[in-house]
Amino acid sequence: MAFPKPQATLRSATGIPTGRLAVWWLLASEVVIFGGVLGSYLMHRLGHPEWADAAVHTNTMIGAFNTFVLLSSSFTAVLAHQAAERGDGKTAAKFLLFTIGGAFTFLGIKSYEWWYEISHGYTITSNGFWAFYYTAAGLHALHVIAGAIIMGIVAFDAWRNLELQRVELIGIYWHFVDVVWIFLFPLLYIAK
Amino acid sequence: MSDHQEHHDDGHHVNYFKIYIILLVLLVISVVGPIVADVIREVTGVAWIATLLTLVTAFGIAVYKAKLVIENFMHLKWEKRIMKWMLTTSLLLMALMFAGISPDVMNHEGTNWRNVAAEAAVARGIDSGEEEAVEEDTAPAVEVAFDVESMFNIVCATCHGSEGLGDGPAGAALDPRPASFADPEFWETRDMDRIVQVITNGAASVGGSPLMVAWSASFDEGQIQEFADYVQTFRPN
Repeated sequence: MAFPKPQATLRSATGIPTGRLAVWWLLASEVVIFGGVLGSYLMHRLGHPEWADAAVHTNTMIGAFNTFVLLSSSFTAVLAHQAAERGDGKTAAKFLLFTIGGAFTFLGIKSYEWWYEISHGYTITSNGFWAFYYTAAGLHALHVIAGAIIMGIVAFDAWRNLELQRVELIGIYWHFVDVVWIFLFPLLYIAK
Repeated sequence: MSDHQEHHDDGHHVNYFKIYIILLVLLVISVVGPIVADVIREVTGVAWIATLLTLVTAFGIAVYKAKLVIENFMHLKWEKRIMKWMLTTSLLLMALMFAGISPDVMNHEGTNWRNVAAEAAVARGIDSGEEEAVEEDTAPAVEVAFDVESMFNIVCATCHGSEGLGDGPAGAALDPRPASFADPEFWETRDMDRIVQVITNGAASVGGSPLMVAWSASFDEGQIQEFADYVQTFRPN
């Protein structure tokens, strides 16, 4: 090992590599954050039948395509993990780049979608439905942006066969972002 | 390093491509399901089958897709049990929040309370910038007519009472108590301009109680004038 690094990086005192334990802790807190938003949305939606009239304006096909993009990016993230386990850093980095591409595609489509909706007068202050729509999808998009940045850093190291254990860690986070979208899609797009 | 990797690797060889294809097929079903449900609703007129189909294809499949990703891509299947307990705790906290709050949010009235704002929002319904819905003909063109009496009973009567006597259920707890519109003394210091002003900007704007809030964000000038006229009807002759 050329450089000293924090002990926790490769330690697994609990029988679980500490880095992975940390990611799972993070996700446990994320479950409460997204669970809070989605749970609140659900109870308000059930209490407000008139929100269905706002929901008809979301574009199901765009939502479905973005689901496809995220599922595909999850697939390449898990392939990156597989390559990292083989010790093949270059391949792992390549797959991570595909995943980052997925993140940008997702964000590009989302930007178009929001631009279209906002220019048609559906803004975060329009009514309760749109407030939840922009808050939940916006919070999710922030996670996509954060994931893309971290994945860039991990891929940069992985290309040089460094810190390959991180490929799995960012992958677990990315799959979680995917799972959140799997629930956002029916809640915001399919349920008309 | 290799210790935990090997341990982690042992015994699970997932066919990731197969999982990916299954996920895509499920995605297609979740999009097509509600469309088929709409057709069923229109052709047969049996609403509950359509609703059930939508729920299963949209939300049932979402749960299954999430399970596939969590188990196979995130490898939770092979993770130590404590990790599953950790995540389960988070889910339970979320369920606890839902169970605790949802009865109050999903109902708009209960014992000794009414959510006036939520009721008004439902009553305003598709009034909130939904002209397109009419154009697209996706929903019947229901224009929610503004009816001053029923709106007074939803929005004002909670405190002022449906007879304007200041005896609404929520008014009992207020200090000062809401004024009675049937009290001749009340009218000695009121004229139409002042009533419109109070409804529009709140009583605090004329030095009255801040508990009578401004309604200009919820109603337009014409509607506020109708409220003011309606309040006049309680005036004793």
